[in-house]
Amino acid sequence: MNRIRKYALSALAVLFALVVFVVPFIFIILMAMKDKQQASLINFSWPTHFQFFANLIEVVQARDYMLLTAYVNSTILTVGSVSLLVIFSAMVGFVLQRRVAWWTPWVDFFILAGLMIPPAVVPTIWLLQSIHLFKTLHGMVLIEVAYNLSFAVILYRNFIATIPRELDEAAIIDGARPLSLFFRVILPLLRPVTVTIIVVQSVAVFNDFVNPLYYLPGKENATVQLTLYNFQSQFVTQYNLLFMNILLITVPPLIIFLFFNRQIVAGMSAGAIKG
Amino acid sequence: MTAITAQPTRTGNGSTGRRPRKGAHYPGWFIMPAAVVYAILFLVPTFASLYFSLTRWTLFSSEFIGLDNFYQFFREPFLSQALINTVIFAAVTSGLKVILGLLLGVLLTSRIAWRGMLRSIVFFPVLVSTVGVGITFTALMHPTHGAINEALALVGIKGPGWLTNRYLALYSVALVDVWRGVGLATVIYMAGIVSIPTDYYEASRIDGATRLQQFFHITLPLVRPAMYTVIILSFIGGLRLFDLIWAMTRGGPGFSSDVMASVVYKQYQAGYYGLSTAGNVVLFILIALLAVPLSWFLNRRVTTR
Amino acid sequence: MAGLQLKDLRKDFGTVEVIKGVNLQIRDGEFTVFVGPSGCGKSTLLRMIAGLEHISGGELWIGDTLCNDVEPRDRGIAMVFQSYALYPHMTVHDNFGFSLKLARVPKAERDRKVREAAQVLQMEHLLDRKPAQLSGGQRQRVAIGRAIVRNPEVFLFDEPLSNLDAALRVDMRMELSKLHQQLGTTMIYVTHDQVEAMTLADRIVVLNGGIVQQIGTPLELYKRPANLFVAGFIGSPKMNFLDITAGASADGLTSLDSADLSGARVRIAETAVAPGTRGTLGIRPHDLRLSAQGAVAGEVQLVERLGNETVVNLRLSSGKHWLAVLEGDAEVGVGERIGLDFAPDKAMLFDTDGQCI
Repeated sequence: MNRIRKYALSALAVLFALVVFVVPFIFIILMAMKDKQQASLINFSWPTHFQFFANLIEVVQARDYMLLTAYVNSTILTVGSVSLLVIFSAMVGFVLQRRVAWWTPWVDFFILAGLMIPPAVVPTIWLLQSIHLFKTLHGMVLIEVAYNLSFAVILYRNFIATIPRELDEAAIIDGARPLSLFFRVILPLLRPVTVTIIVVQSVAVFNDFVNPLYYLPGKENATVQLTLYNFQSQFVTQYNLLFMNILLITVPPLIIFLFFNRQIVAGMSAGAIKG
Repeated sequence: MTAITAQPTRTGNGSTGRRPRKGAHYPGWFIMPAAVVYAILFLVPTFASLYFSLTRWTLFSSEFIGLDNFYQFFREPFLSQALINTVIFAAVTSGLKVILGLLLGVLLTSRIAWRGMLRSIVFFPVLVSTVGVGITFTALMHPTHGAINEALALVGIKGPGWLTNRYLALYSVALVDVWRGVGLATVIYMAGIVSIPTDYYEASRIDGATRLQQFFHITLPLVRPAMYTVIILSFIGGLRLFDLIWAMTRGGPGFSSDVMASVVYKQYQAGYYGLSTAGNVVLFILIALLAVPLSWFLNRRVTTR
Repeated sequence: MAGLQLKDLRKDFGTVEVIKGVNLQIRDGEFTVFVGPSGCGKSTLLRMIAGLEHISGGELWIGDTLCNDVEPRDRGIAMVFQSYALYPHMTVHDNFGFSLKLARVPKAERDRKVREAAQVLQMEHLLDRKPAQLSGGQRQRVAIGRAIVRNPEVFLFDEPLSNLDAALRVDMRMELSKLHQQLGTTMIYVTHDQVEAMTLADRIVVLNGGIVQQIGTPLELYKRPANLFVAGFIGSPKMNFLDITAGASADGLTSLDSADLSGARVRIAETAVAPGTRGTLGIRPHDLRLSAQGAVAGEVQLVERLGNETVVNLRLSSGKHWLAVLEGDAEVGVGERIGLDFAPDKAMLFDTDGQCI
């Protein structure tokens, strides 16, 4: 009796989850496969003419292969910001955890502030312009680093607390100076957190829409999110192409998700439950 | 005896020749790179915003006008509406994520089949582009052609204009935000739930508790830290949201679904930089006024147990 | 090779003084053990010698160099931690060679030294493993090997055997002894286990509350403890104590008065004690013998038969409990009233300040 109820509950749950969470994705895929007329109906029909690859090619070629440029930009942005983020925040987390100085409460405060205070966008544009970083990819990289430091530092600080101090002491006796201690002994041991941060932050930066919208206007520097947004007006009558675009920019996070599911989940719940 | 030949390693004065200071092995300058980037690109604009929000600003010239910008937020309907909408939006999405996330979390940590796949399905929307989600649901929510209303029509219900009805637009976007974000809440809850020792459940089973009783008397109290995290995170996130609103309604119809973040952008587009910056400051104050006491209140509940 | 000198060493953490003026001379090549209860400051003292704790006052000399402000790596020391502190992400080979790599020693020489150290510890076959793949005893030896490679003038050991199970501990103790014989380097060893101290040390330093209680060879500490604390700390089972009042002296023997004693006499080495002086009598459980007309009488509470000896828990008339270790299989039963006696030479008298008379 209970067994039946359990299966019934499971079946109901699966059905519910499928409908709510999977159907929209099925919709995206279907739309991406349709031709222009059928796509404009935006309904849930099976494509009559299978145009997946034609759509794919057309989207990629649009506006002088803007999508490819966007992919390159997004990749540079993601790789650049995440690399800097890892090194900078690990260094901060390390010193913060191992040493209590007069500035420790201040740093704690600023970390918290970074999590809560919304960035002041127009003043940031004003600042970026005055140091000639506005509309530049490297400026954007630094912005992403600045905005994501708090989260990463917290993650590193909590994890470093689990590395016994005796390891530091053994290295110090062995003759390690601070940089050697950090790069040769501590950083290799931070690999789990580093992987989590790389994965989580890569997805976050890749999907970031609002910040490039403000700080990276212009065709040459467009990221994939901005490109999609701009295509909305261009493809207003070509939903099939629009949804093909959506499909294409969902692929990288999907790949990361398939390979690093565990790390993502661990990272999100670890960072969230503040120690 | 093996000959370990080498000169003694003691060199006496040491290479520094100086007295080793307390923090010598954990140097303060390790903080520098991050601090520089953070201070210049985040702190400076934040402090600057406090000044510029009090001006009429064109990026080249600023004219001090005192609290005028802030008065506008309460005078002009399209601005004050955004203020109200922001709070409503945050409350609605946060509330739904907290409740639904908990239910999903309990479901996905119980012994149902296909647990792993379900967890992935529920969580995946968190990783998808917000703009993509916005465009997709805009299509699904189309008043006449959209799949949602067509499905409702199948059972004889005439679906409303989800995004075209000025009274519904904000809530429709809120529902999409919940769809997208409940997976994260679920994951956080799951982490909290699996950390509850099974001993409690076993003891209660011996005492004769039903599943429902177990939920209310064991799960719910012990999952509180996770719940408070979800509340704070989703609330602050809801207050700051921009992407989804912009992708789906641009604040429309009219300004019925504007929130602080979209107003900040609109004023920026219109060239009213002072007003836009004031919007940032208002949002900041809003978060400080609402989220900080909330966080403090919740954390107190946890520690005084 | 170097000896050490600690001159009035002090350490305080804020307002709490943890090490209160330690004076110590350690000869080159000696195996010295710091022993004492938890919190006595022995680990702190070791870490001050290592350079991991700042010295608040006094002087530390390693060899003929004043080392108060010298960095740990320049003091000519190597340390074996209680938890071994092996670098988890490096192989045994790299763990050994890390200090050499930091000193930019060329690879060929590095490998040679690593191999030498591995030979001493018979670990050549483990060089490519990572710490996680080793047993507790093997990890212990890697920690020692890492120290050996540095060719230090002083080895420092911080309770290295605490994390091992009992059988392994005995084996490792012997290995450490052998190592000391082989290398002949000065070694300073910290432990709370007085058995380890007694078996390993050339000289023992007993610490309590940041103050040195006594320094001496194991036998000196056992036979002639300087005060109550050392007497009670060294030796297992613990020494028995009793409050007494000195009586008349004759022939170098002083009689003692106490509710629980009759006819007990003690040989005092130095000047006679005035009758009426109060003090404490100390007698080790092993020095008590069955005697019908013995000085001590009491009711047997517990008997533990170990085969080669019998441990008897005795309740004296005042209610105090004493332990006696009798040879072989003693014929005593629970509830019996028995008498015990001791040779006057074996007893020790302590004055009201706890010092040995």
